[in-house]
Amino acid sequence: MAIRVNDFTINIATANGTGSQSANLIILHSMYEMGVPVSGKNLFPSNISGLPTWFIIRASDAGYQAPGDHTHIQVMMNKDTWEKDLNNTEPGAVIIYNQDVKLPVERDDCVVLPMPMTKMARSISPKMAKLMANMYYVGAIAHILKIDQGAIEAAVSNQFGGKEKAIEWNLQAIAQGKAYAEENWDYESEYMAEARNKDPNTFLIEGNEATALGAIYGGINMLSWYPITPSSSVAESIISWIPKLREAEDGGATCAVVQAEDELAAAGMVLGAGWAGGRGMTCTSGPGISLMSEFIGLFYFSEVPGVIWDVNRVGPSTGLPTRTQQGDLSMLYEASHGDTQHIVLIPGTVDECFEFGWRAFDYADRFQTMVFGFGDLDLGMNRWSTAGFEYPDIPMDRGKVIRSQEQMDAIANYGRYRDVDGDGIAYRTLPGSGLDPILYRGTGHDEDGIYSEDPQVYHSTMERLKRKIDGARDLLPAPIIRQEKEKSVGIIFYGSMENTIVEIDDMLEETGLSVSTCRVRALPYHSDVEAFIEAHDNIVVLEINRDGQLFGILRKELPVQLLTKIQSVAYSDGLPPRARVYADLILETMKEVKL
Amino acid sequence: MSILKLNVIDLEKSEYKGGKSSLCPGCGHDQISNVIIQAAWENGIKPEGIAKMSGIGCSSKTPAYFLGKSHGFNTVHGRMPSVTTGANMVNKDLSFLAVSGDGDTASIGIGQFIHAIRRNLDMVYIIENNGVYGLTKGQYSATVEKGSKKKKGTMNEQSPIDLCAMAVNLGCSFVARSFSGSKKQLTALLRAAMSHKGMAIIDVISPCVTFANNDESYKSYNYVKENDEVLHIVDYIAHFSPIEAVEVPAGEFKEIKLFDGSTLRLETVGNEHDPTDPVEALRAIHDADKESRHVTGLLYYNPDKKTATETLGLTNTPLMALPESELRPSKQSLEELNEGFRTN
Repeated sequence: MAIRVNDFTINIATANGTGSQSANLIILHSMYEMGVPVSGKNLFPSNISGLPTWFIIRASDAGYQAPGDHTHIQVMMNKDTWEKDLNNTEPGAVIIYNQDVKLPVERDDCVVLPMPMTKMARSISPKMAKLMANMYYVGAIAHILKIDQGAIEAAVSNQFGGKEKAIEWNLQAIAQGKAYAEENWDYESEYMAEARNKDPNTFLIEGNEATALGAIYGGINMLSWYPITPSSSVAESIISWIPKLREAEDGGATCAVVQAEDELAAAGMVLGAGWAGGRGMTCTSGPGISLMSEFIGLFYFSEVPGVIWDVNRVGPSTGLPTRTQQGDLSMLYEASHGDTQHIVLIPGTVDECFEFGWRAFDYADRFQTMVFGFGDLDLGMNRWSTAGFEYPDIPMDRGKVIRSQEQMDAIANYGRYRDVDGDGIAYRTLPGSGLDPILYRGTGHDEDGIYSEDPQVYHSTMERLKRKIDGARDLLPAPIIRQEKEKSVGIIFYGSMENTIVEIDDMLEETGLSVSTCRVRALPYHSDVEAFIEAHDNIVVLEINRDGQLFGILRKELPVQLLTKIQSVAYSDGLPPRARVYADLILETMKEVKL
Repeated sequence: MSILKLNVIDLEKSEYKGGKSSLCPGCGHDQISNVIIQAAWENGIKPEGIAKMSGIGCSSKTPAYFLGKSHGFNTVHGRMPSVTTGANMVNKDLSFLAVSGDGDTASIGIGQFIHAIRRNLDMVYIIENNGVYGLTKGQYSATVEKGSKKKKGTMNEQSPIDLCAMAVNLGCSFVARSFSGSKKQLTALLRAAMSHKGMAIIDVISPCVTFANNDESYKSYNYVKENDEVLHIVDYIAHFSPIEAVEVPAGEFKEIKLFDGSTLRLETVGNEHDPTDPVEALRAIHDADKESRHVTGLLYYNPDKKTATETLGLTNTPLMALPESELRPSKQSLEELNEGFRTN
């Protein structure tokens, strides 16, 4: 019998709030500790306790990080989803289940492995039995995959950092689970986690925490926020890290944190901070962006810097609040009434969450406008590997701010909104400076900031704003392009699809297609994106939404002769993207264009 | 040649003026703008140290008409408090002077108004209250009294929101009501508000000459003049005033020490009012309301409440002035951070 080494998917079905997240992370981290290329996806409900949760762990020597197309090992702990989980399990899979749930498992076509998890947990602590039961499936999986005991111990001690009793009990439970499996199961495992040379520099971290750290190294000094899944952990990470990383000489705080009354107020605070010369930021998700939209227009029109970090969840409306999507992109790009256009930074890795986290402030100050960070729940709330964050390679860019009379005198014909050097960006002065004060406003204004309804004044203001944001294109992060010699098919994608693209690419190339890829990392899109489109015969714009939102933006902005080349492949069901789904959709589309 | 009068920081009053008003001639708001100019000048505040804030509406346009040497922000409808909050967080040394209206504050912006009070934002918040939406041509606002009638249309049948009562209930640290036609009272209250640390609210009844200055309107000039329930006579004594210039009144009075060392003297008329007692403040409001009168004066005062930035324990330097070395942690710190993640 051939053994599948580092090439399998485990699905663990539990109920929310039963402590299963600890057990799942111990499996994930112990394999990661061994150097097994592994990824974990938490599919959790909008609920604190009781509703079903699934955790998907995929090991893949090929480096695939999407949830696999097949589940090889199914763990069943939740009576509410028992039947569904059982029916979804494919023939040939291994089913590990908690026998104390007392529900039948009649699957002759699977390897069925029962364990009295709750009962055994009671022997360690009757009070904690419900929580501890989860550790028995850790033991069971450790047995089946031959996970290294040292790695398990490291993961447990990391998970329960410092709590000696918890470490002892949980290790005991895992050991009992392992022993039970060894003694009672007559099954020669077909799966194995084999140690690989782990880069000692790597570690796992959630995108939201990486974003938070980036913001701190970007000099954030005002954080306003209103709790919303899946963005709250950005704010909570900033709050927990900032006192450890930054302190003024007098011991006072260097970043004001305000939990706002709603998202409108959170955006207003960022605006106020930016206007007064600070680095303000808020984090939110789609519903919050909807509420902030009025202020986003004021940022754009009055030209005030600020950062809004959107961690996308599934819309429209309240949607699926704990599932992932790239459904906010077109809203971000043109948020608010009237003609607007905003800079959107789109990280695809945790390294980029950190990097764009600090760069966002520089872009905001440079272009005197609101800058969006755009991630999603998959990237933000799941753990991804990094070799360590890189320190900013440039000093902070505070943009065109006049800070002294001398600087003011050096500018001929100063006006708050007068473009004196042709880049569309005017100089500004700060409140408190006494330098050429104006009353900022969201109403029409001339180059000196004075109220105006003059048609020519309005028209030229709007043209300058267009020129200003357009000028950002090639200064924003360039796309990451991987180009084949034969320029047949080019896939344009962005954000967390990065974690699935390699597998999609491999699936397509298996069919004989030659596929290049281009990951867009910012809007307005870089000129390299257009060059990529020009260089390829057929372009697929691949997205995790229904309507093909980047496709729509490209169709609006590309030269008309390129439009016939581009096709949209967009699909969204709330789950992190599975390679097979997208690869098949791309193949179908290619068939339609008769490639 | 006339000798121009200078204030305590040697500035002429003209240094505090703004552009020409575009409001209706005779608008109460213009009188308030004049009082703002007068109060800021008399208090000797540096114009560049003031930040003028407003929302949207007739009242919110007025920052263009005063303090032309101060930066300002005419923001969006009802959301001025949040913009002020953000600016205050990064520059606590600015003196925030905000103007809002009754539509701006009592309807669309009531949430932000409440939360600014809750945080005790260090600002002066003037409500120019006329009971109607002027810029959209005279619809009733939420502060119009039941039984009041504007020039055109039917009588208002809904109960009003009393912003002062609400502010007292929320523990606002300085709550006053005045009338745009009472220049002396309003100037003294505004000067005191400017000397206060924390949120100072002045609800100023300011008649709308175009849509609601008829005698059946409870916020018309004639009505307010006849139904003004004055709590006390207010006198502001600046901390820099020479002692011999300060007269002592003949009757009973109370003095309130303000944050900057100035004094607000409250001379008793009728019953004595204790502004440190929130229940007494609410009683004064409700008693006047029962008789469809407007109570004016300093309703409530609590100097001991921490401001928003004090509660947060911010460093002494305004955050916007911190150098990069204090805002961006060192390269070594990032190396240690990475190492910590690796070994954990």
